[in-house]
Amino acid sequence: MSDLDEFKATYFEECSELLLELEEQFTAIEEGDHSADRQNAVFRAIHSVKGGAGAFGFEKLVEFAHSFETLLDFVRNGQVELTSEVITLCIRSIDLVADFVGAARDGEELADDFGAEELARFKILSGEDEEEPMEEFDIEFVPVMVSVGDDDEGVTVSADSDEGDSFDQAPLEDGLRYWKVDFTPHYELYERANDPLLLFRELSSLGEAKITAKLLKMPELADFDPFGVYCSWEAELHGDGITEEAILEVFEFVEGDCDLNIISVMANADDDLMPQVDEDLIAAAASVEEVAASTHINALEQESGEEPQEPDENSADKGLSLADMAAEIEPPPPPKPEVKKSTKQAAKTPTVQSIRVDLEKVDRVVNMVGELVITQSMLTQQMDDQLRARYQEMVRGVEVLAQTTRGLQDAVMAIRAQPVKSVFSRMPRLVRELASKTGKNIRLEMVGEHTEIDKAIIEQLSDPLTHMIRNSADHGVEIPEKRKAAGKPEQGIIRISAEQAGGNIIISVEDDGAGINRVKVLELARERGVVGPDQQLSDEQIDELVFAPGFSTADAVSDISGRGVGMDVVISNIKKIGGSVHVRSSPGQGTKMLLRLPLTLAVLDVMLVEVGTGPYVIPLSSIVETVLCERADFGYAPSGRRVLQIRGEYVQVIDLAVRFEMETNLKEHKRFVVLCEGEGNSKIALIVDRIIGQQQVVIKSLEENFRRIDGVAGGTILGDGNVALIVDVQGLKNTPEQKSAA
Amino acid sequence: MESFENRESGDIEHDIASGNSMQLIAFMIGEQIYGVEITTVREIRAWDGATPLPNTQEFVRGVINLRGTIVPIFDLRARFGDGITNTTKNHVVVVMSVGEKWVGVLVDAVSDILTISKKDIHKVPEGDNMDSELLNGIITHDSKMVGLIDLDAIVAGVKEES
Repeated sequence: MSDLDEFKATYFEECSELLLELEEQFTAIEEGDHSADRQNAVFRAIHSVKGGAGAFGFEKLVEFAHSFETLLDFVRNGQVELTSEVITLCIRSIDLVADFVGAARDGEELADDFGAEELARFKILSGEDEEEPMEEFDIEFVPVMVSVGDDDEGVTVSADSDEGDSFDQAPLEDGLRYWKVDFTPHYELYERANDPLLLFRELSSLGEAKITAKLLKMPELADFDPFGVYCSWEAELHGDGITEEAILEVFEFVEGDCDLNIISVMANADDDLMPQVDEDLIAAAASVEEVAASTHINALEQESGEEPQEPDENSADKGLSLADMAAEIEPPPPPKPEVKKSTKQAAKTPTVQSIRVDLEKVDRVVNMVGELVITQSMLTQQMDDQLRARYQEMVRGVEVLAQTTRGLQDAVMAIRAQPVKSVFSRMPRLVRELASKTGKNIRLEMVGEHTEIDKAIIEQLSDPLTHMIRNSADHGVEIPEKRKAAGKPEQGIIRISAEQAGGNIIISVEDDGAGINRVKVLELARERGVVGPDQQLSDEQIDELVFAPGFSTADAVSDISGRGVGMDVVISNIKKIGGSVHVRSSPGQGTKMLLRLPLTLAVLDVMLVEVGTGPYVIPLSSIVETVLCERADFGYAPSGRRVLQIRGEYVQVIDLAVRFEMETNLKEHKRFVVLCEGEGNSKIALIVDRIIGQQQVVIKSLEENFRRIDGVAGGTILGDGNVALIVDVQGLKNTPEQKSAA
Repeated sequence: MESFENRESGDIEHDIASGNSMQLIAFMIGEQIYGVEITTVREIRAWDGATPLPNTQEFVRGVINLRGTIVPIFDLRARFGDGITNTTKNHVVVVMSVGEKWVGVLVDAVSDILTISKKDIHKVPEGDNMDSELLNGIITHDSKMVGLIDLDAIVAGVKEES
């Protein structure tokens, strides 16, 4: 990867962050928060997108972002009112910017008129005619001649050649204050793909700018770093009504990546020999001297000291600049600490330090910590009272170890945890697109997007969530007319939320639509043979049918959802990561789908049971309760199948010893019933020999070296080093018992 | 003497490198000797029980924990149709890598390391499906017959059945 490619990659990464930021800010703005902070934030974000795009020559993106930015600028200046129409346009435009960025990244060509409509509206809203012409931002990399010593003017880089020509002739009016800007980029400035040229162009939009480049120490060619800092600039800025803030704003995005010194100068100082130092700056006299020593214009003061400054500054300047140039080729004197203090430094931007680590490495640590936790719990379990009495010190040590291990585990899990925001943030766009495709008016609400979940789970969350939202938008929320007729507000609401509840994360997708049409669902299910003709289902069971494979209730198959794939994908994806899905619907009121997800995939809370000679583990999350067999109320179905009657429900019974072909010599009544919950509240009763206890285990794959086995979700290694199998509750339920129940 | 040994081992290495020879780990099941190429063997360990897997073929003895990884163990005697091995502590598990997978085979004892010449490998006589399915070839060593185990076939047999 070349350096340029790397910069591009960084830029695109930044873009996706900026787009997220835009999305977030506009969501708040849409909700009525029109604070200046938000308006500035969106302006900055789009400005950054534009800046980078300019540097890489993504012209279309620059053009669009520029118009967008112009509008936002007018908005924050109060010239354009932030009406809901403007907000809608902006939100729509974020998507377009995302598309432009995407096209630029993938090297795709978008249609010529892509975004033209929005572009036109930007221009109408912001009265584009008065704007500076676009060419200014049509950046090309033009080689700049750097001449040293033979040019009295030093190196003048001007944003606009016409303006540049006029610099020399521009007479300085007596007493006019002008600004002097010293700008020395840091290495990071270039690393972040900023281009000083753009800054100077923007600076020159404030007024007449004369920009002079100064060479810092030039290395030997062999040591030349293309991105090194070998040049600093100073700008003289003339014009009415230029404020320090305006200048600072130009450099807003490189703040911290450069040394910046802004000084206001009286062109014709009558009572003061020194340039007037802006009160806002801490710049002491020393720093002004420092600046003066290395600049052309102020060289006067340095030389003359007490002489009043001549009105004809330019000529004096020329007289001295040769000597100055010579001095400049020398390495500049190390900046004095005072100067540093006076410059606008990065001090206020808090830096979050982070490193990129291969996920695999983190996983290895997670795995080992998992093993450590298990070993530790095994040690703790083995300590009986006798041992405790005898080896107090050791016991204390083990207790400390237990604490530390827990802490370590939490810390490692925190490394993998990410806020669900990274998935949620993709949803507003989806909803907008769905709304426009279906002609519905839908608002998306998000709650708890800062809830953190294991990264591996987050990755698995995107598809199910997309399907669920599609389903809500397509089948849930009604078209405005229908909603009105039903006495509901025209705007439908889809609400996604995330919260932590105990050892689980609950994610819900809720809509205030028509709810599940149970009559139609059941009818369709019978038609497709999902449900037998005589089978009677409860309302809840009918609702769960929407997750059945090959099922869709859409009247017409739309291109949004309704091809019958989708909701069953939700189930299988969520099951894969040890979660469950439930749906609750009330006709006319809406539908709520709940995803219950484990906090982490690395460690599983299980109940250890004995069946025959071997230990088995059952995930604690699926266990409802355990009962001694002699207290359980068994019955027999007409087919002879044994069922368990519990609280008015009849539950399928599976004897694990039979199912797993283990021999047991325990008397039936001494055994235990473990009542488990499978998908969609469906229950199953497992009969085991003995319940050993609860513990945490690390899941190991059987497939890695072997293959999948029905009814077994995987293996785990117990404290004694032996392998125990994890019971796949749902799998047991789905596969018929091979041998008749005992 | 020493120099002689060195020369001999040097010759073997040369032969192996040139692809003419290979080394086998030979193990016993009953009186019969079998061999697998030494480079596939990862570990030899004493039988210490295995966690049985439900609903698998008879010859799948279960799984063991090999330093944190779960490895299936196949009873080679049962695989050849001679019934399940009555295991004792003297029985041995030979852990091998087959493709990407690690598998263990349960045998009675590991007997020797043999260096054989590839040109001495005979075809498995036709007639018995079990033999030709599970063996790659037969060689004669010290006038005894050594069957070369086809590891892929053993693993594949597991995959097919479900």
